[in-house]
Amino acid sequence: MTSRRKLIQTGLTLGAMHLFPGMSQAQAKRLVFATFTGSWEEAHRAVLVPAFRAATKSEIVLDPMLSVDQIAKVSAARNNPPIDIMLHDPGPALTAIGQGLTEDYPVAQSKYYKDLIPEAQEGTGPAVFFQVVGLTYNPDKIKTAPSSWRDLWKPEFKGRVGITNLNSTLGTGFLVEISRMFGGSESNVEAGFKALNDLKPNLAAVAANPGALAALFQQGQIDISPGNFNAIQILKARGVPVEFVTPKEGAIAFKTTIHVVKNSPNRDLAIALIEAAMSPEVQSKLMASPFLIVPTNTKVKIAGEVAKVLAKDHDDMKKRFVFQDWKKINEQRAQWIERFNREIRL
Amino acid sequence: MTTLRRLPVTAYSLWLASPLAIAMLLFFLAPLGVLGVVSFYGDAAMTQWGTLAQWQKMFDAFGLMVLADTLWLGIQVTLLSLVLGYALAWVFVRTPTSLQPLIIFIVMLPLLTSVVVRTFAWIVVLGRQGIINSALLDLGWIDTPLKLLYTRWGLVVALANVQLPLMVLPLINSLQKIDRNLSDASASLGASEWQTFRKITLPLSMPGIIAGSLLTFAAAITAFISQSLIGGGQMLFMPMYLYQQASALSNYPFAAAISLTFLATVIVCVSALNRLGSLSRWRAA
Repeated sequence: MTSRRKLIQTGLTLGAMHLFPGMSQAQAKRLVFATFTGSWEEAHRAVLVPAFRAATKSEIVLDPMLSVDQIAKVSAARNNPPIDIMLHDPGPALTAIGQGLTEDYPVAQSKYYKDLIPEAQEGTGPAVFFQVVGLTYNPDKIKTAPSSWRDLWKPEFKGRVGITNLNSTLGTGFLVEISRMFGGSESNVEAGFKALNDLKPNLAAVAANPGALAALFQQGQIDISPGNFNAIQILKARGVPVEFVTPKEGAIAFKTTIHVVKNSPNRDLAIALIEAAMSPEVQSKLMASPFLIVPTNTKVKIAGEVAKVLAKDHDDMKKRFVFQDWKKINEQRAQWIERFNREIRL
Repeated sequence: MTTLRRLPVTAYSLWLASPLAIAMLLFFLAPLGVLGVVSFYGDAAMTQWGTLAQWQKMFDAFGLMVLADTLWLGIQVTLLSLVLGYALAWVFVRTPTSLQPLIIFIVMLPLLTSVVVRTFAWIVVLGRQGIINSALLDLGWIDTPLKLLYTRWGLVVALANVQLPLMVLPLINSLQKIDRNLSDASASLGASEWQTFRKITLPLSMPGIIAGSLLTFAAAITAFISQSLIGGGQMLFMPMYLYQQASALSNYPFAAAISLTFLATVIVCVSALNRLGSLSRWRAA
């Protein structure tokens, strides 16, 4: 019985290999880097890809997609992953690591890893840039710049505040931050939910995702919201009246980590790309206009808009950025999303 | 002798459909089967199989509320499209034939634009500084902008516009088929215009109404992009619920239960409407 089943299995496999010759020639595949869509892709295509090509003389394919798609694609083909390098926000990164999809970074051999600021040094995959969330507002409508998260609750902003739901990193990070402000923590967001309920009269919109939230400034639908520094730069470049300020409680910084996919046939090249992404040369270029991507390598001298709005240097960064414990956040995030579904209805 | 055994020229062997059948089996039914299996895992990490936990969660008070609200949204959009679409189709069949292609072109125009573009256009129309609010402010009818975007009614109106062609085209088709002499006959027998409409035109156009409603309803409840961009993140309909569980939480078992429930509900609604359609055709005949 078993032998017949084996025979059929072997037959099917051979047939499949004959039909799809690519299956047996994975080693000849080009390096695939799954970056994020939109401005991240543009920045990586303009700066990181040329640096990688110059260093290795090898080809690379950018395949931009959301974290969740990266995880789905890799977990569907663990033995022959279609992606060699993944890029993740903190929540999805933990999911990918938890499912055993990533390989630990060879830290000891790395040239640049030790230069990263301590918060960016993650053995499972280093953080190559930070995404920073602060207060964003329309300077045409709001003459005195807000200075604290608490300003969102001011009565003068009735019907003018925008937030996102908890599906995004931004939404969840914001809930945790206001919970901390009102006495909670990463594992206790009771105070945050109470604050969200109190915020309801001021809410003009609960956007489905951060992109939709930023676009609402363009429509004049909202005048103030928590917002992503880089998303705001794109709007500003298009002439939308919107400004970013770091609240006095500190801006929320998310580590965007980069991972070698386990069983990647291009392991060495993947490591070469990650080295390039950590290098001060690439990070300096990415920090310049129009990309304004926040560097994690301490050898990068912070300048330009990033220095002006976010932090003068890496010491200042430690003072003005708040890092959250996403291991704790992930434990209860599902319950919070469920609670948000039930409670925050306008 | 042999000529007698030959099949009629219009009959083809069913075997010709086998590539399609195999494709359906492989790429549609098999994945559905996988969804079914996945939905019986008890946890997001998919370690314990064989529990009904996800299904119980789907059918708890909150899950049922989301399902009912989604269907209610579909009904609202369908009714509004029906009222607007019927008037439009009515105008069409009474327009001189030389102008009819123009109306068809205008009706089809939204179908030639991507849903995303149409949805963004509605954001511009409904926003606080949008066309409606600016017009009302300029006329002095309101002092502060009304909240139209991210409201239930804003969503219903936008969805009705986006799905309108799906309603109008079947309606035009069925109204055109009605013999004009019937209404003349009805009028000559002393019926008022309203009576003629109610007793003659409406029943005869029923197949068009049902076909249009079916398409509009199915399109409205599954319109993930319009629902999330115009309705916003605080409204939860089945497509967003599904996306949230699968995408933000990687909770595939629960997402599978949601998607199968939604699929089954849509099939039940659509076949019920279809059944109504065949009944009405039978009555009309």
